[in-house]
Amino acid sequence: MVAFVAFSLRRAWLGFWRNGLMSLAATLTMVLMLVLLSGLIILLTGLNATLNFVQQEVQVVAYLKDSAGQQEISGLEISLQGMAQVTQVNFVSKDQAMKDFLARHPDEAEVINSLPTNPLPASLQINLRDPNDYLDVATYLKSQPTVDRVLNIKQTVDQMVTVIGILRAGGTVILVVVGLIVLFIIVNTIRLAVVARADEIEIMRLVGASDAFIRWPFIFEGALVGLLGALITILLLFLGQGPITGFLSDYFKVLPVEASATVGQNIALIVLGTGVGVGVLGSYLSVRSYLIR
Amino acid sequence: MQGVTKSYPNGREALHDVDLTIPEGDFVFLVGPSGAGKSTVIKLLIRDELPTKGVVLLDGRDLGRLKRREVPKIRRKIGIVFQDFKLLPNKTVRDNVGFALEVTGARRRDIEPAVDRVLRVVGLTGQADQLPSQLSGGEQQRTAIARALVHNPRLFIADEPTGNLDPLISWEIIQLLLRINELGVTVLMATHNAEVVTAVRKRVVALENGRIVRDELGAAYHRED
Repeated sequence: MVAFVAFSLRRAWLGFWRNGLMSLAATLTMVLMLVLLSGLIILLTGLNATLNFVQQEVQVVAYLKDSAGQQEISGLEISLQGMAQVTQVNFVSKDQAMKDFLARHPDEAEVINSLPTNPLPASLQINLRDPNDYLDVATYLKSQPTVDRVLNIKQTVDQMVTVIGILRAGGTVILVVVGLIVLFIIVNTIRLAVVARADEIEIMRLVGASDAFIRWPFIFEGALVGLLGALITILLLFLGQGPITGFLSDYFKVLPVEASATVGQNIALIVLGTGVGVGVLGSYLSVRSYLIR
Repeated sequence: MQGVTKSYPNGREALHDVDLTIPEGDFVFLVGPSGAGKSTVIKLLIRDELPTKGVVLLDGRDLGRLKRREVPKIRRKIGIVFQDFKLLPNKTVRDNVGFALEVTGARRRDIEPAVDRVLRVVGLTGQADQLPSQLSGGEQQRTAIARALVHNPRLFIADEPTGNLDPLISWEIIQLLLRINELGVTVLMATHNAEVVTAVRKRVVALENGRIVRDELGAAYHRED
């Protein structure tokens, strides 16, 4: 067993260097594809983070009549919290609304202070589980006597949901297509390396080498190509980390900064797994046709 | 081989109802024109192909019923050489021969003595560290023979072993095969070389259009009437 593994590893190593140019081509193809893959993952992760953030921000805002009593408001709050579509209800009092306004517009403080009464209404800010439920909740709110007006953001929400859907679906499709292309190219590159050694495989079969002895050196060689490709890719990504992060935080202004460390780690793992996985699978598929029928 | 018929996917029938028994220790020439079915007989014996009909028995085992993982073990009982030697150009004579043991999982310390032994048998001890490109055709074929012998085969198959060699060297190879046969190994040699077959006077099996047309002991290449 030890002899077998040592033999396979030694032959994989020799094979990798003997077909140096071929191995280099395979490795570079791997790098190219892995870079493309991780670029897509980074883009999609950023996009998803943005979209999630935007989706969370989709709120129904109901302005309450000044005449509404504390008890009625509490009752409405409780009934809203009972709705399946609702995740959270926040009550914003008239005073709080004023403070928020002043915080956002400090220049207007004099104007506001000169007013005899607080013109801002109290409101309920309702977070939704799914932005598609907007209409249900808005209709319910409009029927309440304490509600003055429901902020009409229906159109914006609809557009947003459509765009989010298209981007997610498109991204997933692109990811799958790129993945298949990677596999196809790697399988073919490794197949060339296998074909170049067809004589050797034939001799091995004739002298009674078992399938394992023929297959594993190539699988290790494929894994080596994958590993090397992945390491180069990770190095490239590491070097490009600064510019990428800069681009991302410029482009997706709301992307949470603290996420990038775990994102980087995830991408490194995905790149490593994909590289070695595709290398092994490619070798396995390439060498299969040379084994005993 | 009992009632063996072999058809290839392209519809060509390479062998038709062939019965052939080779007792252990025999020396058999397999002769006939190109396309007569000699190569198919060899492919069936090393289970590179399976018969369409009939059975191929080797050492009492039905090759058609062999499990996939048993095939390599059977192949180690067969040594085979070809017209084109099939040596690895970037390995020395010693490594080419050792390769057969290496890829079948032999322990490294067992390889060297085994290789030295067969190199002595074929008389290549002095050339052990040369590359195939530095050898003559005869020496290359002897390297291939050494590689085929290193597993101590029960059956030795030579497919046109002298096809690429001049007459004198061919004789050396035949002498070597006869010696291997004297050591108790069954030898099957497919050949076009009429001179050799006629001179050696061993069993001759002649194939024509996929059928055995002659099977004589101590015979010549051509029918003698």
